[in-house]
Formats: sequence, C-alpha cells, structure tokens
Amino acid sequence: MDEVVSGYGASEVLHGISLTVNEGETVCLLGSNAAGKSTTLRTILGMVPTRKGSVKLRGERIDGLATPDIVAKGITMVPENRRLFAKMTVRENLEIGAQLRDDRPAIASDIESVFSMFPRLKERVTQKAGTLSGGEQQMLAIGRALMAKPSVLLMDEPSMGLAPILVEQVFETIDEISKQGITILVVEQNANVALGIADRGYVIQTGRIVMKDSAKALLANPELSRAYLGELEG
Amino acid sequence: MRQPQAVRAGLIGGAVVLYLGAVGMLERFSERSIIVGLIRFNLVVMMAAFFVFALFAYRRATGEANTSLGTGITAGTVAGVTTGVVVIILSLLVDAGVDVRSMFLRISPAFFEAITLGTNPYLGLVILAVIGAVMGAAAGGFRRLQPTPRTIVITVVGTVLLLGLGARLFIPMLQGLGIPTAWLYRSDALTILGAVIVSVLAVVIRLYLQRKGGFRKALTEVPGVTPSNVRPILFALGAIAVLAAPWIGKQFVADVLGTVGLYILLGLGLNIVVGYAGLLDLGYVAFFAVGAYTVALLTARSSSMVGATIFDLAPEPLTNFWVALPITLVVAVVIGILIGAPVLRLRGDYLAIVTLGFGEIIRVLILSDWLKPIFGGPQGITEVADVPAFGADTNDPRVLYYLIIAFALISLFIAGRLKNSRVGRAWAAMREDEDIAEGMGVSVIKYKLLAFAMGAAVGCLGGAFFPAKLGVANPGSFTLLVSINVLAVVVLGGMGSIPGVIVGSAILVGLPELLREFGEYRLHIYGAILVMIMILKPEGLIPDRRRALELHAEEPHESVGPLTAAATPGVQ
Repeated sequence: MDEVVSGYGASEVLHGISLTVNEGETVCLLGSNAAGKSTTLRTILGMVPTRKGSVKLRGERIDGLATPDIVAKGITMVPENRRLFAKMTVRENLEIGAQLRDDRPAIASDIESVFSMFPRLKERVTQKAGTLSGGEQQMLAIGRALMAKPSVLLMDEPSMGLAPILVEQVFETIDEISKQGITILVVEQNANVALGIADRGYVIQTGRIVMKDSAKALLANPELSRAYLGELEG
Repeated sequence: MRQPQAVRAGLIGGAVVLYLGAVGMLERFSERSIIVGLIRFNLVVMMAAFFVFALFAYRRATGEANTSLGTGITAGTVAGVTTGVVVIILSLLVDAGVDVRSMFLRISPAFFEAITLGTNPYLGLVILAVIGAVMGAAAGGFRRLQPTPRTIVITVVGTVLLLGLGARLFIPMLQGLGIPTAWLYRSDALTILGAVIVSVLAVVIRLYLQRKGGFRKALTEVPGVTPSNVRPILFALGAIAVLAAPWIGKQFVADVLGTVGLYILLGLGLNIVVGYAGLLDLGYVAFFAVGAYTVALLTARSSSMVGATIFDLAPEPLTNFWVALPITLVVAVVIGILIGAPVLRLRGDYLAIVTLGFGEIIRVLILSDWLKPIFGGPQGITEVADVPAFGADTNDPRVLYYLIIAFALISLFIAGRLKNSRVGRAWAAMREDEDIAEGMGVSVIKYKLLAFAMGAAVGCLGGAFFPAKLGVANPGSFTLLVSINVLAVVVLGGMGSIPGVIVGSAILVGLPELLREFGEYRLHIYGAILVMIMILKPEGLIPDRRRALELHAEEPHESVGPLTAAATPGVQ
C-alpha cells in the first residue's frame, strides 16, 4: 500500500498512507478513534475508493477493483462489530463465507475444521447468529472469513466489546491462524494485546502513519502512549 | 362505572355496526340468505360484530372481570343499545323532515329495514339489545368452553357460513359431481335440514380426525396406507384434485382457478425479487404487461393492430403461442435488467418509489397515442390467437388452466431450487447486509440484476397467458392495483415462502370471486380480512422459516436441534 489517499464523499480521511505487510507476517495497525484505521482496511478491500496512490497485492494493483473481485484475489475481512448475518444460522454464515468457492467437499471439510477450532460453534450450528454471545459471534466472524480460504486476513478491532479473558482467547486464535501461514493485518486500539502477537506495528493518527517499528520496539517505546493521546506531531 | 373496558368495547362495537349500516353493507347483505327463512347475512354480520367486541372487552379486562359473564353481556348490550339508540335518533330526524341522506346517502328505508331486522326502530332497539346481550354472553361462554366443545362450535359456524356464502360456487360443483343439491340448497341458501346435516357431518369428521391425531394419521388407518407411503399418497390425492378441479362445476370454476394460477406465477416471480433478494418492487405489473403485450403482438391477427396498414402486414398472426413464449421470456429478461440497472444503487423506500414509477411508465407507454400504431392505445390489441394445445387451437379455460398449472409447477420447482442454492444464500446475505455481503464476495450488482431478471421471467409467464385467456391485451388490465395485489399475495402468504404464494393467491384471488355478489363491498370485506390477517399473523399465513425468525427475534429462542438443546446448560 503506497501513498494512499482516500475518503468518503468530500472528506478525505487518509492523507497518504504507506504500509507494507510481508507474506506470512502479522502486522497491527494501532491508533485512537477516528484515526483512519477502519478506513485503511475498507480502502484495501475497495469499499472506499482509492483517490491517489496504489494498493498492490503481490505486486499487482488491486485498487479500483470491485470488492467481490478483491475478495476473489484472497483478501478477506473480519469486520468491525462482527457484522454477522444475524438472522441466518451459524452454518449459513459459514457457507456464505465460502460464496466464491466451488468445491463442495472442500467446503464441507473446511466447515469441520472451523468447528474443530471453535467447538462452541458446532454446538450452535442451527442457531441463528444473532442469538450467540459476543465471544461466539467473534468466533463465527473469524470462521466466516476463514471459509473464503484467504491468503490475507484483515481484522477490524477484534477485541471490541469483549471481556478481557475473551480478548486474550481471540488473539490466541489469531496467532494460531497466523501459524497456518495466513498473512494478517489487524487493526486495534488495544495496543498491548495486539503487539503481543504481531511481528510489526504501525501507528496511525488523523490519516497519517506516525510511527512504524517492530512489535517489540513499539511495546518498549514510551512515545506510543503519547501518540494515543494525540500529542505527537505527524 | 365498574366495567369501563366493557362499555368502551361495546360503544366501539355499536359504532362499527352503525358504520356497516351507513355505508349500505347491511342493506346489501340482507338480500342474502344463509339459511332459508332463518338467518340472513346482515344478521350474521351484526352478531359477529357484537361477539367480536365482547371478546375484545375480555381481552382488555383484568381480574374477576376477565372471567365473569357480566363483562361480555355488558359489552354486547352496550353495543346493541348504542346501535338501537342512534337508529331511533336517525328515524326521528327523518320523520322531522331532516334530509339525512344529503349527507349519508345510504340511510334509506332499506337501511332501517336491515338494521332493525324488518321491525320498527323502537322494537329494533329491544331486539338489538337482546342480540347484543346474548352474543356477549355467548362470547363469555365460548371462552370458558373446553377445547372439544369449542372445536364443535367453530366447525358448525364455519361450515354453515362457508357453504351458505359459497352457494353459487358449490352448487355447480356438486352438480358437476352428480350429487343432487335440492336437499341442501334452495335458491342459493342452505335449507334448515341441509344446514343441520352438513354441520353434523362436519363435526363428526372433525372429531374423528382429531381423535386419530390429524388427517395424515387417520389416512394410515386405511388398508394399504402406511406411514412411509402416506406422503406420496397425499401428493397423489392433491394432484388428482388439481387435475379434476376444472371439470367439477362449470367453466366459471376453471376460469377462477386459471386466474389463481396466473397469480401464483406472478407471486412466485415477485417472491424472488421481494422475498429472496429483499428488493421492494412496486412496479411488478410492468412484467405482467410485457409478457401480455409481447405475446399479443406476436400472435394477434396483425390486421387487428391499429398500425397494420402502416406496416402493411398480412392478416395472419406472425407466429403461434409456443414460438412467442421464448421470445417473450427474452424480452422480459432484457426489460427486467433495463429496469434493474438504474436502480441498483437504491435501497428500501427509494427503490420502491422508483419501481413504482417504472410500472406506471410501462402502462402510460402502452396507452399513449405515440405508440398507438404498435400497442393500439386504449383499445389495446385484439384478436389474440388461441393457444395450440393437445392438437387444436383453443381458448378453453380448462386447457389454459392445465397449461398455467404446468408452468406454475416448473416455476415452483425452479424457485424452490433457487432458494436453497448458492444464489439463494447470496440473496439472503444481500438482503441482510449489502456491505458485508460484498465483503464475502457476493457481487451485489450481479445478484440484484439476477433477481430482477428471474422475477421478470417468471412474471412474464403469467402475463403471456393473460391475452391468450381473454383474447385481447389492453392497458386497463395493467394498473397499479395489480402490482399491489401481487405484493399482497406475497406478503399475506409469508415473504420468501413458496407454499405461502399458493395459499395467498387462492385466498386473495379466490375469495373475491366467492364474494362477487356483494359488488363494491367485496373490496371492503377483502380489506378488512387483509388487515385482520396482518394483525394476527404478521409473518404471513405460511411463513418462511427464516422470516418467521426475523419477526419474532425478540422472543426467546426455541431450541432448534438436539445439539443446541443438549448444549444449553453449559452456556455462559
């Protein structure tokens, strides 16, 4: 992602953001409210148009493509607030995740592997998604995204609205997914937990990248908390 | 006042009866006997009003009043007295020379006759009060009944009303089956003996079935029928009924059933757009018109077209129905996509308004002077050719009925397969959350266009048979009311539900035929029934499983499978 400018309507939200995620890496994008974290993810997926700059996947430009085409190239998102299809069952949600795939037996076996990752979901397979607890919903949202067999997984605030113990579980899961070789870009406010599993991190503030470093260095950097308070000059 | 709720319900009940009288319904109903010499339809309606409002009084009442007979009697009596007193006031005004009819056109001598059951206003007050009290008490008593006697009461009342009101439908049907009707009907009303016999029969059958645990279980008592083959046997019985229906009774029955079939086709098409994809289309009549006019243009004797002289066409039809049909499908799909494309970005209300506009545009175009050389303007296209079927050209409603049913079955099958396919799932996801559906790889543009195209294709089938049935296609048949009716079929049956479309069509198209003799009031009754169904069953008569969940989302979730039930104790 290079010098990307994007925004909604007349307002520009990202003022030239450059970030790189290497294959197999887990990178986290930190920042306070309204810093442009979600917009960054939405821009990558083509839900918000790229106005300047370019978004590339393995050297190939993907900005300007329609969202479904980008998804077909192997990028999937776990959206903010889960955004499950609340009135569809757990199984249907997972099946929707595999919408672009054709191989039925493989889909069926992937559903099973999601269940083995989240046994709780298997118990609730015919229940509608809206009736699940917050933690179960997050599991389902992750499972739904995995059903697309993505090579890159974008996660928007996976810790939002979850109890601390569940947050820990979710990030353990993210770590596991990363070990399967999936590249992950996770957007978080909860810096400590996110950096705990990430290889590298970026800090974004009012649409600009203000810091970037390895996860360990960022954790040790006292400026990190100041960036959150908005005192750092971009 | 100790029972304010009862009094209030009674006052409303009285107002309703007066309203029914003042618009002339009671007067019209008094011409219709249900049981010869015993009960006329106006009395039935008044009794029903008193009864229903007494039930309302109970619904509102709390504590002791909720069970006491007094509540119902109070409500019923108040309703009767209210009606009676207003009738007396009206009659005094009339006697004093006030021209009541300058404002209330229907307050005629026949109004007084109907509402006082042929007596005078003062005696009428007493009679209405007594009927009110009796019906109120009956409502109270009805609530206390055990399930079995309650079933008996409902069965008797339902049977008598159905057979009495539907006399003009059932008499030809019974005669068609070779059953004499003299014992049952006399001049379109039940005889007393007939009413008693059918009531007893209905109760016996109902109780027998109840004891056996339903029709399906009862059927397994018949030798040769086992639980494993009961389904195919039921299916076969249904098929025989569908095939035999047009031969029972006169052409009238086949005609009505054919229209029901047309609405099933239209309903299935709209169900794809509204029920599956969640796109509220208020201009669905456009596809009905496209189907009808394309077939008409291609199969009418061309000389019947106003512009024939301009085009210098031969008097023969361009082609026959079976060649026209695939062309019609293509045209409809193209127009479906043309209408769908500009509205892709619109959602909800905005989509509804724009589609409404498109529906009108099509109607105005076929009506216009500009396109008169092609579509014939207000006169439409006449002399549409008959359908070649079974070795002959025919417009026999029975043959058309079979063809319509055949196409309805094909559409049913396709609609059913679509619903549970990947496409159906994509539509469902799109209906819930367009953005996230895109994020899952569902191309909203593609699937919206697909929904419009599929809906258009199925809907135009309905349209295609329409001119073949009537022999003409003219703009008068393609009004907004058709769009609304089809939407009502879909909503009433239950959005997204296929059996719902069938039941919805049967009720919304069949019922008005049953009520035809009541002329303009039939739409009145039809409207009241629609409102009642939507209040009592907002998810539709036969709701789609998923839709039912949506409307009852706030209610506690019932366990859906054994796994869930077993797992529940462990929930955090």
